[in-house]
Amino acid sequence: MTLRWPWVTAVLALTLILAAAAALLIGVAATSPEVVWNIRAPRIAMAVIVGGGLAVAGALMQGSLGNPLADPALVGVSGGAALGAVAAVALGAAFNTGLASIAACLGAAGAVAIVVAVSIRDSKPEVVTLLLAGVAVTAFTTAALAVLVSMSDTAGARSVTFWTTGSLALSTWGGVLSVAPFAVIGLVLAATTPRSLDALSLGDRAAQAAGVNVAGVRYRSLAAVVLLVAAGVATVGIIAFVGLLVPHAVRAIIGPRHGRLLVVSALAGALLVLAADTLARIVANPVEIPIGAVTALVGAPAFFVLLRRTRARQGGWA
Amino acid sequence: MNPTPQPVGDVSPLELRGVSLRSGASTRVYPTDLTLAPGSVTSIIGANGSGKSTLLRLMSADLQPTDGRVLMHGADASGLSATMLARHRSMLAQETSVAFPFLVHEVVGWGRFAWRRTPAAAEDDRIIDDAIESQGLASLRDRRVTELSGGERTRVHLARVIAQRTPLLLLDEADADLDLVGRRQLDDTVAALALEGTTVVVVSHDINRVAPHTDRVIVMSRGEVHADGQPAQVLTEEILSKAFGTAVEVSDEAGRPIVRLPGARPPGQMCG
Repeated sequence: MTLRWPWVTAVLALTLILAAAAALLIGVAATSPEVVWNIRAPRIAMAVIVGGGLAVAGALMQGSLGNPLADPALVGVSGGAALGAVAAVALGAAFNTGLASIAACLGAAGAVAIVVAVSIRDSKPEVVTLLLAGVAVTAFTTAALAVLVSMSDTAGARSVTFWTTGSLALSTWGGVLSVAPFAVIGLVLAATTPRSLDALSLGDRAAQAAGVNVAGVRYRSLAAVVLLVAAGVATVGIIAFVGLLVPHAVRAIIGPRHGRLLVVSALAGALLVLAADTLARIVANPVEIPIGAVTALVGAPAFFVLLRRTRARQGGWA
Repeated sequence: MNPTPQPVGDVSPLELRGVSLRSGASTRVYPTDLTLAPGSVTSIIGANGSGKSTLLRLMSADLQPTDGRVLMHGADASGLSATMLARHRSMLAQETSVAFPFLVHEVVGWGRFAWRRTPAAAEDDRIIDDAIESQGLASLRDRRVTELSGGERTRVHLARVIAQRTPLLLLDEADADLDLVGRRQLDDTVAALALEGTTVVVVSHDINRVAPHTDRVIVMSRGEVHADGQPAQVLTEEILSKAFGTAVEVSDEAGRPIVRLPGARPPGQMCG
C-alpha cells in the first residue's frame, strides 16, 4: 500500500523539527548556551545536510543508472571524495574549507567517471559491474588515503578510521558553511531530473525513443550526486548505506515516482542520520560510536536482502 | 484538435537514402533506399541475424547510419533532438522491463513525455485513458507493472507508444509475448492506427504473422533487402527459400499466403 505523499512529507518534516529540538537539549555535557550553539547546533545542521544529501544522492544514482543497489559509498564515489579532500589537505589546504570541498568533488567526479564508464555495455550501465567497479575504486582510494595519512603531517590529523567510518563529532559552523553551498546547488540540479528519471526506468533505449535526453539527465543526476556527497564526505567522512536504504524504504511507502521520492528521501535521510547520531553520542556514554559504523551495522544486512531481491527480479546474473 | 505533427502534402513520414551500417570490418546493413507511404503497414521479415531489427533501429534513428540519411517528414533525423524525434515516431522494442514498480497508468503516461510543455499536453489524461482502454487494460490501470505477466506488460508498452500519438509507429517483435487473443488485438490495433493515417512498421519472426493488414513486405537477408513488395509478390516459395536458406512451401488459405517448411503440418513459427 502506498500512502499519500504530502502527508508523509508533513509528518517527516514535523518529526525532523522535533528531533532537532530534542538533540539540542539532550547530551552528556551540561546544557549551556555555549554547548548548544557551538557544539550541538552545528552538529545537528551537519547531520541534516549530510543525511539528506546522501539519501537524495542514492535515489539519483539508483534512478539514473537503473540500478536498485547503487549507493554513493558502495560504488566508490565517497571514497573518491575522501581521497580528494585528504590530497588537498596534504598539499596545504585546511580541513573544512571550500578548497577541501572542491577537491573532494573532483575526487568524487573521477570515481563516478571511472565506475560508470567501466559498467556501461551496449550503451547501458550494468547493475553488478557497477558495484564491482565500486569495490575496486574503494580499495584504491582507501589505500591511497592510508598512504597520505601516514606520510603527511597535515593529513595525519585525521585517522583512516575517521574517513572510513564517518563521524559528526568534529562538526563546526565552518564545516557546515563548507558543505551547505554544494548541497544547495546539488539539490537545485536534482530538481531538474524527476520526470526524466521516471521515464528512464524504461531503460536507455526505450526512454530515448520516448523523447528522454538520456545522456543529459544522467550527467545532471551524477553531477548532483557528486555535489551532494563530496563536500559532506570532506568534513565528516564516509557514511555508507544511507543512500541505499532510505530511497528503498521511501519507495515502499509512497511509490517510485522521483519527484516525491527525492523530497521525502531528503527529509527521511536527514531524520535518520540525525536520530542515529543523537543516539550514538548518548547510548555508549562516555565513548561515542561513529555514525558511519551505526549505518553500516544496519545497512549491510539490509543490503543482502536487496541483493537477493534484485537478483531474483533480474532472473540472476553471471 | 489533432496533436500529432501533420505531414505536409504527401511527404513521406520516413525515407531512407543510401542508409548503411558498418561496425568494424563487418557490414550489418548494406546501403538501403526506402520510402514509406503515409498510412501504410509494412512488415519486415528475415532469418535471425538478417538485419531486420537493425534496420528498424536505423529507421527509428536509435542507431546512426554509417552512411546515408534518414528523413522523417523530409527532415534529417540526425539533426533532431530526442524530443523532436519522439514526436515523429514511437518505437516499441523487444525488451520491456521497468526498473522500479511504477503503476500501469504511470508507464502509459510516459508516452506523453515528448509532448510536455506543448498545447498537446492539455489532452494527456484523455489520451492516456484512451490508450489504456484500447489495449483492454482498464482493470489493470492501478496495478504495478512489475507484477504483470509478459503479455500484459507488452500491452502496457503498446498502450504507451500509442499514447505517444506519432505519425510513425515502429514495432519490434511486438507479438512475442502475446497469446492468440492478444495477437488478434494487436492486428486490430495496427489496422485501426493505419486507418487513422499512422504509418506502421512491424518486425516479426513469424512469417505468417505479417499477412492480415500488411501493404508491403520487406524481406531481409544478410543485411540486405532481399525482396520488397506487396505480400502476394514477395511471399513466394522462390524468394523465401532463398532468403531463409531452406526450402519452404507457400499455400493459399482463404486468400492469405501461408508459409511452412515442407513436411510441417500446421503453420507456425518457422524461423524463430
